[in-house]
Amino acid sequence: MEHIELFFKSIFIDNMVFATFLGMCSYLAVSKKVKTAVGLGAAVIFVLAITVPLNWLLDQFLLQPGALTWLGAEYADYDLSFLSFIMFIATIATMVQLVEIIVEKFSPSLYNSLGIFLPLIAVNCAILGGSLFMQSREIATLGLATTYGIGSGIGWFLAILAIAAIREKIRYSNVPAPLRGLGITFIITGLMAIGFMSFGGMLTGGDDAAQPETETVQVQDQPETKDVSLVKEENNTEENGMSDMEQKTLANNTINE
Amino acid sequence: MEKRTDKNSYTIIFAIGMVLVVGALLAFTASSLKPNIIENQRLEKQQNILYAMGINDNDESSAVFISTDKAPEAFKNNVTDQLVITVDGSGKILKTQTRDEYFNETKQEPYLIDVKKQKANAKKGEPRKLPLFVGQNTEGKTVYVAPIYGKGLWDAIWGYVAMDENMVVQGAYFDHKGETPGLGANIKQRYFMDDFYGEHLLNEAGVFKGITVAKGNADPKNVDKTDNEVDAIAGATITGDGVTAMIKSDLKLYKPYFDNLKNN
Amino acid sequence: MGLLSKKDTKLITDPLADNNPITIQVLGICSALAITAELKASIVMSISVIFVLGVGNVVISLIRNIIPSKIRIIVQLVVVAALVIIVDQVLKAFAYELSKTLSVFVGLIITNCIIMGRFEAFALGNGPWRSFLDGIGNALGYGVILIIVGFFRELLGSGTLLGYPVLGNPIPGELSGLYALGYENNGFMLLSPMALIVVGIIIWVQRSKNKALIED
Repeated sequence: MEHIELFFKSIFIDNMVFATFLGMCSYLAVSKKVKTAVGLGAAVIFVLAITVPLNWLLDQFLLQPGALTWLGAEYADYDLSFLSFIMFIATIATMVQLVEIIVEKFSPSLYNSLGIFLPLIAVNCAILGGSLFMQSREIATLGLATTYGIGSGIGWFLAILAIAAIREKIRYSNVPAPLRGLGITFIITGLMAIGFMSFGGMLTGGDDAAQPETETVQVQDQPETKDVSLVKEENNTEENGMSDMEQKTLANNTINE
Repeated sequence: MEKRTDKNSYTIIFAIGMVLVVGALLAFTASSLKPNIIENQRLEKQQNILYAMGINDNDESSAVFISTDKAPEAFKNNVTDQLVITVDGSGKILKTQTRDEYFNETKQEPYLIDVKKQKANAKKGEPRKLPLFVGQNTEGKTVYVAPIYGKGLWDAIWGYVAMDENMVVQGAYFDHKGETPGLGANIKQRYFMDDFYGEHLLNEAGVFKGITVAKGNADPKNVDKTDNEVDAIAGATITGDGVTAMIKSDLKLYKPYFDNLKNN
Repeated sequence: MGLLSKKDTKLITDPLADNNPITIQVLGICSALAITAELKASIVMSISVIFVLGVGNVVISLIRNIIPSKIRIIVQLVVVAALVIIVDQVLKAFAYELSKTLSVFVGLIITNCIIMGRFEAFALGNGPWRSFLDGIGNALGYGVILIIVGFFRELLGSGTLLGYPVLGNPIPGELSGLYALGYENNGFMLLSPMALIVVGIIIWVQRSKNKALIED
């Protein structure tokens, strides 16, 4: 259950692109075609799924204050957390370099179309962000860390896939010339992010807030139900807004075709 | 033609050399600067606690601490005792130590207790040590300052909350490691922290409710101090929820102590 | 600029407009979105990036001939990360207040793709002096966009600039300035999606002025 919750949370609510705005550069630059977007998205899932658990191990057994206790009691006071940035980055860079070598060997066309953005996965903040979030949110087990890594990766994959699909379609639309390409992509991403904000209403029940307090529950009930309905309404309007936009683009497409 | 720098042996030697050089450089800076950094952090903790108690050099609009050179003396004069309350997993008080008792046992000042570590210990089922700083504020009222620690949007957030014996807030200080500037980072702005002043942590029946950082609050000017709510910062939902959560989870543990205090 | 040759001057001026790292090269977007809700944060971030990119470019350029190509990414990242961590530690020890203001940006600087992007694209193939100019120029171009976005988001979102109220007093009961006429802050501007839209509009304006930049 914990795994499923974290999995969906990291895909939708904490979506790397739309909620925390990480990994934007490659997201914007490599989303012209669905095919390349899928390639990069798969690479990101792969790298995140490996680096997050790897860095979790590093954090638990090397970096955290008191993490060196397994070496012996006299090491318990060491705090190497100032090294966490550089250690995480090194793990990530190694993995990225590995991916680069593999892609170059097996799919030279993908390698060429990814261009400078393949090495840039290393500084794709989504990847380092995944590891740093894992650290600051104190994810408890290796299994959860893996789930989190894969979930975040899929979230990023979905985001880039969606924008690439929209960009392929929007080529047939009548966008003002100076906005074509990058400009309209920025604006669409902004609108998509606003749409994704509605996921924030899901799964908001705090885990440690669920303490039975018989006397207060009744007092609290009413305003809370009200809140929920408000959130729901927001969701609806925003989803409508999104589909309106999509309908518009569709309409534009048909006109042009 | 293969370049010299493409050889595997060269790559490995270079990598080892780089690790050694950079590692040594980082370890050297970190260890040589550590005493200074620890001293700065110690002073900051004192300043934070004093700020929550209401002892600060606030001017009109911004939050200003008592200056670093005056902090140790002010801390000595104003904080009359630093209690350490040890609780078990169910929140039952195992023992309460004064500063001297604690210092004799561990050779550590109670205000340097790492709340994050204590929280992690508590998760493993070990007893948790709760520091509580007792002192007089500028109005001569006895206040109790408790540290709290939690998570915001990006990283850790923490703070100090001063209360009287009825758990009415007498001052609060919040800080963060990396919240969004202009949004979540505003929890350390005075307009947000000052809102907590006078808020009740308990409801009328005396049950612990905490203080909720609420959006769409019916009371945006924060006149009603007994509603257990303060106004949220626009656009900083997750950081605000983090503040709510850390107040609830950490201050709740002090409730039994204040119950005992009143009963005796 | 008597000191710089024409080619060198271009290294600085190009990234300010026609080859801007954010609007044309698509580098350094994440940080441009994360920290521009406030003008002050935008300025601090711009200055930090000017420093890190200037110095980092020189270092990479100096060691460009001895870096093994297979592990160049790691080397580049280690250089930036080490540089930033050392500066952070020194500030923590000697200028604690300043370090607290900057600590938010440490992670953002290390992962800022503008830094890696310029290492890859320029410093690996050019001498130290030209790399230095390229670093400064790109960081300035990045800063310009950051400051424009920060200016509009803070002005329209909270009605202040650098924390000073410029549109009057919004507190109910003591209304003054524009607020007395019924103006309201657009809280939406403070949210990150609006930063995307503002950058989109900047691109629009820039490309309307310079038709050569328009994509097909």
